[in-house]
Order: sequence, then C-alpha cells, then structure tokens
Amino acid sequence: MKRWFFIGMGFFFLLALLVPLVVQSDYTLQILFRVFLFAALGLAWNLVGGYTGQLSLGHAAYFGVGAYSLALFSKAGVSPWVSVLLGMALAVLSAAVIGSVSFRLRGPYFALCTIAFAEVLRLTAKNLPNLTGGDVGVQVPLLFPYSSTKAFYISGVLLTLMVFALTAWIERSRFGYYLLAIREDQDAALAVGVNTSRYKLWILLISAALTAIGGALYASLFLFIVPDQVLAMEISTEIAIVAMLGGAGTLIGPLVGSITLETASEIFKTFFKEANLLIYGVLIVVVVLFLPEGIVGTIANKLRVFKTAPTAPFATPEPPDPEEEAQRAVISE
Amino acid sequence: MIIAWAGCKGGSGGDSNTIRIGVVTSLTGSNAAFGQAHKNGYTIALEEINAKGGLLGKKVELDYYDDQSRPDQAVQGVSKLVDQDHVPIILGAYSSESTRAIVPVVTQKQIPLIIPTAVADNVMATGSAWVFRICAGSGSFATATLDFLKNNGNPKTLAIVSENTNFGQANNKSMTDASKAAGLDLVDAETYQASSPDYKSLLQRVKNKNPEAVYFASYLLDASTLMRQAEQVRLNPKYYTSAGTGFAAAEFPNSDKGAGKYAEYTFSVSQWLPSAKWKGSADFDQKFFKLTNTHPAYHAIEAYAALVVAAAAIDSAKTTQSQVVRDTLRQINLAETPFGPVKFDNTGQNAHPVLVTQVQGGQYKVVWPPDAAENKPILPTPEWSKRQ
Amino acid sequence: MSSQRRSCRSLVNWFYSTLQAVLNGLLTGALYGLIAMGMALIFGVMRIVNFAHGAFLMLGMYATYVLFQSTGISPYYGFPLAGAALFVIGYATYLGLLRPIRGQVDFMVILLTMGLALIITDGVQLIFGADYHQISIPLLSKNIRLGSQISINAPWLVSFAIAAVLAVVLYFVVTHTMFGRAARAIAQNRYAAPLMGINVNQVQAISFGIGSAAAGIAGSLLLPVFYLFPEVGNQFKLKSFVMVVLGGMGSIQGAAIAGLVLGVVESLTSLYWGNEWALAVDFVIFILVLSLKPSGIFGSQRA
Repeated sequence: MKRWFFIGMGFFFLLALLVPLVVQSDYTLQILFRVFLFAALGLAWNLVGGYTGQLSLGHAAYFGVGAYSLALFSKAGVSPWVSVLLGMALAVLSAAVIGSVSFRLRGPYFALCTIAFAEVLRLTAKNLPNLTGGDVGVQVPLLFPYSSTKAFYISGVLLTLMVFALTAWIERSRFGYYLLAIREDQDAALAVGVNTSRYKLWILLISAALTAIGGALYASLFLFIVPDQVLAMEISTEIAIVAMLGGAGTLIGPLVGSITLETASEIFKTFFKEANLLIYGVLIVVVVLFLPEGIVGTIANKLRVFKTAPTAPFATPEPPDPEEEAQRAVISE
Repeated sequence: MIIAWAGCKGGSGGDSNTIRIGVVTSLTGSNAAFGQAHKNGYTIALEEINAKGGLLGKKVELDYYDDQSRPDQAVQGVSKLVDQDHVPIILGAYSSESTRAIVPVVTQKQIPLIIPTAVADNVMATGSAWVFRICAGSGSFATATLDFLKNNGNPKTLAIVSENTNFGQANNKSMTDASKAAGLDLVDAETYQASSPDYKSLLQRVKNKNPEAVYFASYLLDASTLMRQAEQVRLNPKYYTSAGTGFAAAEFPNSDKGAGKYAEYTFSVSQWLPSAKWKGSADFDQKFFKLTNTHPAYHAIEAYAALVVAAAAIDSAKTTQSQVVRDTLRQINLAETPFGPVKFDNTGQNAHPVLVTQVQGGQYKVVWPPDAAENKPILPTPEWSKRQ
Repeated sequence: MSSQRRSCRSLVNWFYSTLQAVLNGLLTGALYGLIAMGMALIFGVMRIVNFAHGAFLMLGMYATYVLFQSTGISPYYGFPLAGAALFVIGYATYLGLLRPIRGQVDFMVILLTMGLALIITDGVQLIFGADYHQISIPLLSKNIRLGSQISINAPWLVSFAIAAVLAVVLYFVVTHTMFGRAARAIAQNRYAAPLMGINVNQVQAISFGIGSAAAGIAGSLLLPVFYLFPEVGNQFKLKSFVMVVLGGMGSIQGAAIAGLVLGVVESLTSLYWGNEWALAVDFVIFILVLSLKPSGIFGSQRA
C-alpha cells in the first residue's frame, strides 16, 4: 500500500517538473509557483505543527529572515546563493532563540508567543530603514541568471519534493516517533525518557531553515521586498492554514491544502472581486466545521488508509486534575 | 489535472469588439478606501470615453485586479493582466509599495504603465522606459514647500512628522534632503505608526524641540488626529506644512469627517482641488458627487487622468500594440485635462505643477506660487489659545 | 536665556511631558483594559483565543455609528446598544460555531475565529464601503487644563469613567453572582462543573456573549475619539493578547490593570523613544513576561 503511495507521489512530482514544457503563461506559472511554495512552507510547518503538535503562528519570522538575508547580504557583496545559505543559518539562530523561549509554553500561549516574535521582527525591519530599507524596500538579486518564472516554478517543485521526502523520512524514523509522542502527551513522553525540549528545538530548527529557503525564493521572484510583504502575520497564518486545512500531521495534507487554497483564492478574486475575502473566510469556517481533521485527515479517517500517523490526535481531552492543569496550561517543564 | 484546471481558468484577452485596459488597484485591504476612489475616477472617465464612441471604433472595458493592498498580489495582477488577458497598457497601482513592486515586472514584460497616485520617488528611481507617472513626486512636494517658506518669512528650523510607511518614509527623505540643501536646521524627525489613537507624546516631543515649521506626511485620519491633539498639547510652530494627502483631502477642513476647525491655517502642497481652474475640473467634481455623494479627493482625478491619457495615447497611436502605445506616451502633450496639462519628460515623469494651499475659513485657498495664488497666506499662524 | 536656565526649563518640560504621557496612557489604557477583560473572560472560561475579538469591537463601533447617524444619540449613551448587540452575536457565535468544534485542537478553534473575522470584516466593507467614517460631538473639543502644561481631553475622561465602572461591574458579576461562580467553576475544572449541576453550555455561551459585549462597548467608547473603518479592530486584537497574558491567565482584574500598564508603557515609549516603536515594545514586554513569569504579572496559579 505504502509503496504505491510513494510511486504515485513520484509520478506526481515528475509530472509537475514537466509542466513548464506545456504551460507558457507567466501568470499560470506564478500561481503554480505559489502553490508549490506554500506546499513546501506548509510541509515545513507541518513538521513542527502537525507532527510535534506545536502550533506556530510566527513562521513568517523565518520566511522573512531568509528573504532579507538574501537581499541584505547580496547588497553587501556576498553572492546570492551563499546569501541564501547564510539566511538559513540566521533562521536557525532565530529559531533557537524563539524556540528556547516559546517551547516552555503550551497551547495558545505558545502560538501567541510565536506571533509576538514575528511581529517584533517585522516592526524592527520597518522602523530601521537605514538598515533594511524599511517600507521603502530593498532590492533582491536574481537567484537564477535570468528572471524566468519557469526557473522559479521548478525550484518551487524541487523544494517541495525535498521537504516532502524529508518529512516522509522523519515520519518513519525514531525521531518522528518521539515527535508524535510529544504531540500526544508531552508529559507522558517526558516520563518515559524522551528528551522533549531537545527534539522540539531540533524540529523547529529544521523547519526554520526550510522556511527560510522559501522566503529567499519568494523574494527573488519579486525582486523587491518590504517588511509587510515577507514578515507579515498574513504569511504565518497562510502557511498554518494551508497545513491545517489540508491535514496537519499527514504527509500530503499541506500539498493538498496548498493546491486547494491557492487556486481557490485566485478563483475567488476573479469571480467575487471585492467579496473575495469574505468567501475565503466562509471556506475556512466550512472546512473547520465539516472537515475537522483537514481535507486529507478526514478522508483518511473515512477510508482508514494512509494511516502512517494517527490523524486524530488532538481530540483527546486534557487530564482532569484542576490545579496541575492550571499550572501546566501555561508553562511546561 | 491541475494544469488543465489552470489552463481552463485563463480567459481570452478580450474579444475583437472591445479594448480592455488593465487596472491594478486596492479594492480590499487597508487601502480599500483609496482603491474605491480610483475605481470611481476610472468609471467616470470610462463613461466619457465610451460615450464618445470608445477607442478605435471599439468599446473600452476596464480589467480590474485587486491587489488586496499587498505588493505581491499587485505583481501577480500584472502577470494575469498581461499574460492572461493581454491588455495593452496598465494603470496603477494605488500605493507606493505596490507600484514600486510592479515596476520591474512591467519593464520586463514590456507593457507601459501609467501611475496615477504613488508619490514616492523610489517608484521612478529605476528610470524604466515603460513607466509614466501623472502625479508629482515627494521631491517636488518638498521643494515647493521650501520655496514657499523661503519667500514667506524664511524660517530656520524644521521638524518632520511622517508615518512609517513607504509614503511617509519617502516624503521624510525628500524633505530631509531638500531642507539640508536649502540650509535649514532639521531639529526633529518623528515617525509614527499609522492609525494610532494617541499621538500626544509624539507631538510633545516635537514641541520640546521648538521648531519654527513642522512638515507632516500623513493620511487624512492621522492628519485629523494629529491636528486635534496638537491643540491639546499646545504645539505652536509658526508654520504647519504638509506633503498633501491627508492635509489636502477634501474632508480635512470638515468637522464631520476631518479635523474641522483644527485644520485652519495649515499649509499643504496640492495637486488638484475641485475649484481648480483647469477645464473640466468642476465637471468632474459634479459627476463624482453625483456618483458617490461626496466630493472627490485628488486620488480620483488622478485615476481619471490616467485613463484619459491612456485613451489619448491609444487613440493617437491608432493601435493597441504596447510598444507603439508606449512610444506615443513619450511624445504625448495634452495641453488641457481636468488634471492640468500632461506631458512626460524623458524619465516618464509628468511635470505636474505643485501649488501650496492654506485652509482659510474652512476652505482651501491657493497661496503660492504668486501667479496662481488666490489669496495671500495668513501669517503668522495664531497660537491655539488665541483662537476661538 | 542662560544655558543653566535653559536646561532647567527643559528638565521641567520633560517632567511635565512625562506626567502628561502617564495621564494619557492611563486614559487610553482604560479602554484597552476593557477590551482585554472581555478576552480574559472568554479565555478564562473557555480557553479560546478569539481572533475575531477585534472584529467584534469594530461591529460595536459601527452599531454605535449607525445609531448616532440615525438618531443623534451620543455613543456615551448609546453604548449599551452596542453591548447588547455584541452579546447576542457572541452568544450565537459560541453556540452555533464554536461549541460544535469544542473537542478539537486549539488551533482549529483559532482558525475558525480567523475565518469569522475575515467574514465580518469583509462583510462590513461590502455593506458600508471601505471608506472611513468619523463622528463629531461637541465634547471632543473640550479640554480640561491643569496649569499650563497638562491637558485632559474630555471624551477620554468620560470613556475612562465608563470603562472603570464597567470593569467594577464585571468584577462584581464574576465574583458575587451565581453566574460568575458557575463561570469560575468551569474555568477551574471543565469536567467537574457539570457534576455540580452547572449548565456548562449556557454559562460558556453567556461568557462569550459578555466578553464580546465588552469589546463592542469599547468600540462605542472609541468612536468619538478615533475613526471607523473595517479593519479598525486589528491593532486592538493583538494588543488584547498581550494584555491577557500580562494580566494572568483568565484573570479579569489582571487584564484591566494590564490595560492601564500597556497604555502607560506605550505613551512613555512614544515620548522617549518614538511612536513607531510602541507596538514593538508591547510585544517585547509580552515575550519578557512569558519567559520570566508566564502566569502573568497578576496571575495566580489558579484559573
């Protein structure tokens, strides 16, 4: 069963790589690039949010670090691809800082803390125009010798493939097992000897580095960035929504989520004009109400296939001890 | 499957009986109010054009793309309009951020772009041969203001108050550079987060530095809040000047929608007023009022002018081929539009005259330059405690 | 003027400026506190982070605006209407949208409130247009002056008073009424509460209604001194998160005080550093509190 799945996915990616031979329209390729970019970002988020149960709403921080590293290091004379690597390193550093503070918190507190960090980064970038160009913006170099949407599209597909493969590998490794344990019941995991802080941090570092690559690609496509574009909370929520609606904790969830949401967004814009955000909101509400495990998660539950990871993890209620619950609900360890 | 879906989504670029002109503006998001003003201006111009028989014998349609007040969406919009809908020319976007973002794209795709309202100078900085701007830029605002100040009391110290967006930062930079060149002492430069409820501390900081003149770069709502709170803080510079926009908005002297009596005596650069002496200005004002029950701010007429110029170019070029249209735009010389004369220099900038107005008796009166002035400026600005 | 007198004068200036900034901060903070109290109640009883809280504030503002435009009733008398309207909306939202997904992971609930916020905001824009609205009441130009250096803008004083009264009322309701006791019971132990005969659904829905009403009323009080547009709620929503955490999980009085603190901090930041940094400072404080004392400044260890 599983083998067919991976063969199928292999074909999918192969076809995806061949798309530019058929599709010439820049606009379509841009949309498809966006689909794959957010699929990759969603998959990267999924590592932390879906498999480890740490729901970050501040991933734009790493995205923006990647984007700004590319812009600012290149401005200082470093070659573009090296700048991207530096961006990954900086993102890892940011994740270490953010994680060390945020992972001590649980549930909504963790999410809010991640929001706070991302916002501080955004506001700092905005208010230091001499360093970052502020809202006036900063130029971003081309990562490919010619500005071709095809090249970006292919890089998007490759990035998705890479994160997909990585996720699949982690999912089946012992590391992945530890992550699931952390998601299911962090205290029980700790009790049986899983080093929860270490693994949570590691997975965040990995997620951050991958997100930073996405940020750099995105920035290079637009040739020009401002803080409200790459560090905005909208990016964080879009990444998280893509993964959650597609099915967090599943392997193809973010991919499905990205395809659905990005194309839906474009269609809504074309057909609903000013009302497009309202319809988008309705879509979100409807999916949450009727597809609680996300699209893939719900389908998987119904078909009882693809159970590579339990997809209904979050419905377990918290242990009923009130005092401890109150204490633990804010802080952990 | 995805490819087929995407392919099917694409529309054809207008049939042979219509000409579609692409428009990128902010119909939703934080700039939606201005995008709507754009849309109204475009609508009025469109009706006039089609009433005269359209262009090249065909009806003209506008192909809108909503950038949701986000620059990345604006870029996507340009792709859609050009690759999917094959428009010959694009008008837009609204904000300096979005406009700056689409400049490289239109240059790469070789489609002419007419910019109606983005004033930041970095928008024109690339020198692209495909970009044309109708409105004056922040540099012109600064020089016009300094010109006025020099000849009306010649103050020596200046403070700048601007919002921390592209619009604010661009005007801040322009005025900083220009005032330095003019030999003024910049004693304070404050930036603020737009849409804050409380600017009193900021204004207190300015007051503590005691500048003779203050230069604001603000949108209407913050302009109103700032002036109201300037009275509470008792900030009394000799001159309240500004880079237009909020301080030049039609509603600004209005007590219902603006700063009311707190707007009195403020100076502003101005690109257009409904009372402007250009042919068709009053007409436009009436049509706009009929459409929306409010008076137009300059955003609407800049949009209107952009479409009028685009139409004139297509008409004169006798084709919708982008290259030819662009070449025609470079040569265009419209002596009279409701937004004044339009002629682009070799960088694509229209030398739109910048006036300085003052709010006198709740009305904008042009006070500078002398040959356009309706009234003399009222100086010195009375202190708050001495006003009624 | 000698340089000594000049620096003395400037010191005096800065002293008064600081005093004024603290005063302004308290006035603004009262409103912040009201918004935060609403969110704290919802969070305390239901552990829901409501991303539509700002949208509810906006709805309250629009309701008051419409009331003012059609009947001329000032927001300072009309705010109960906003409160009532938002109570109903909050109550219905909880029962209709949030209760069905109670068992799900926190984030799905957050996501739903995000979707709801989009619907409300865009919906309002479609109905009322994206253009800004403002009202003008005579009180707006009245300032109370203490000496030559300190001034208090009258509307802010009125909203401070109303917010303070409401805060006390809410505190009283939570500590002294049956409903309040039920709400606190649920906050302490969601599973044992029904065993005590508490109708959990009702109490939770009412709590959500009250919390939303607080946001709506804050919107009313904000209307005269600010302006109205569909996205107006955004900044207040984010600040509410900060205040709720600062004040301690689900602590209503904590949230109120945190509001005052935040107002003063923002005002002083604007005075000494720059207005553009105020929001960033809010978040830095947020992070500091979460790292050093996650249960909040006033947080007890109990819910």
